[in-house]
Amino acid sequence: MTKPMRDFTRGELEWRPWIAPLDLNSATQEQLVALKVTPSNRAVGAYSLVLAHDPEALSERSPLYNGIMFGAKGLPRAERELGAVTASRVNGCSYCASVHALRFVQLTKEPDVMERIQKDGVEADLEPRLKAIVDYSAKLTRDPTAITPADAAPLRAQGLGDLEILDLTHAVAMFAWANRLMQTLGEPATPAREGNPL
Amino acid sequence: MSDIDVMNTLAGIAPDSALAALRRQRPDVVKHLQGSDDVIFSPSDDGGLTRAERAAAALRIAELLRDGVLDAHYRARLTALDPSGTLAKTVTGEAQITEGRWDAILAHVDLVTRGPGSAERDDIEELLAVGLSSHAVVSLSQLISYVNFQSRVLAGLRLLKGGS
Repeated sequence: MTKPMRDFTRGELEWRPWIAPLDLNSATQEQLVALKVTPSNRAVGAYSLVLAHDPEALSERSPLYNGIMFGAKGLPRAERELGAVTASRVNGCSYCASVHALRFVQLTKEPDVMERIQKDGVEADLEPRLKAIVDYSAKLTRDPTAITPADAAPLRAQGLGDLEILDLTHAVAMFAWANRLMQTLGEPATPAREGNPL
Repeated sequence: MSDIDVMNTLAGIAPDSALAALRRQRPDVVKHLQGSDDVIFSPSDDGGLTRAERAAAALRIAELLRDGVLDAHYRARLTALDPSGTLAKTVTGEAQITEGRWDAILAHVDLVTRGPGSAERDDIEELLAVGLSSHAVVSLSQLISYVNFQSRVLAGLRLLKGGS
């Protein structure tokens, strides 16, 4: 049911909303707080302005997202990004995949990993630790009720402890969320300024 | 904010257990996961999508995911909010849906749960056309996305619980 996957290795896409974003000039105080808009910072993207129609949910989701993707110690940030890319690839979200593939490459300096996933999908041939992470992420994304305690063994064999497995689970789950919001409330668009052929 | 931790309850994690302690190593996640649950199901301003409708939509997702624990959780929540059982019957297909607005909401729940990339602009236009506000459309989207998130976190917690 998912749309064809775009090439997500060549930089970020733009996102075009399907419902009118909030007009900052008519925003309530609660919406401004949820968006963290201040007099000196009014640079808010269309995605956040759409989510600001429900400021209560946005106010909780933003710190939850940050805690999951940026919390100290535990699973290295790049491997959380790998979980995000895997979920996004399975869910067909080219916008999310492009953003997080870029973050993975920035953190690891290893574009080869993302190029392989672009080419061969989540079945791509990767080094054992990354492969174990991708396999778990794909299975958790596709069918959470199919996960059993046995699925921890390949991760533990690659050195992931309880906190690392929890971190990976959170990251993959966060993209079950993000992929649905992104693909439900709008669509990716090619930035015109770059003449990007994607 | 309540003292209840919904994920610990759903995963059967005792507050004094090793797994609860592991979760507390991510205090922002524990706090804002519960916070998300609170505002998604019991918002101060529901934007026109009622608490009973929110519980019913979540029950539908739990059914699609075939997760018995989530199913029982949302069924109990819905029963408390809609003692007549009318909404529950529409979710399980026991009653015919005769109202266009609720029909459109359930169709959207099914579409986005099964195929995260299946929604088109027309699907959002349909929700607006049957009378949902922009606030309600965003709330519904957050709800569908949240329950799908919650089911993955639950799966991971069960994995960790079983392996310890």
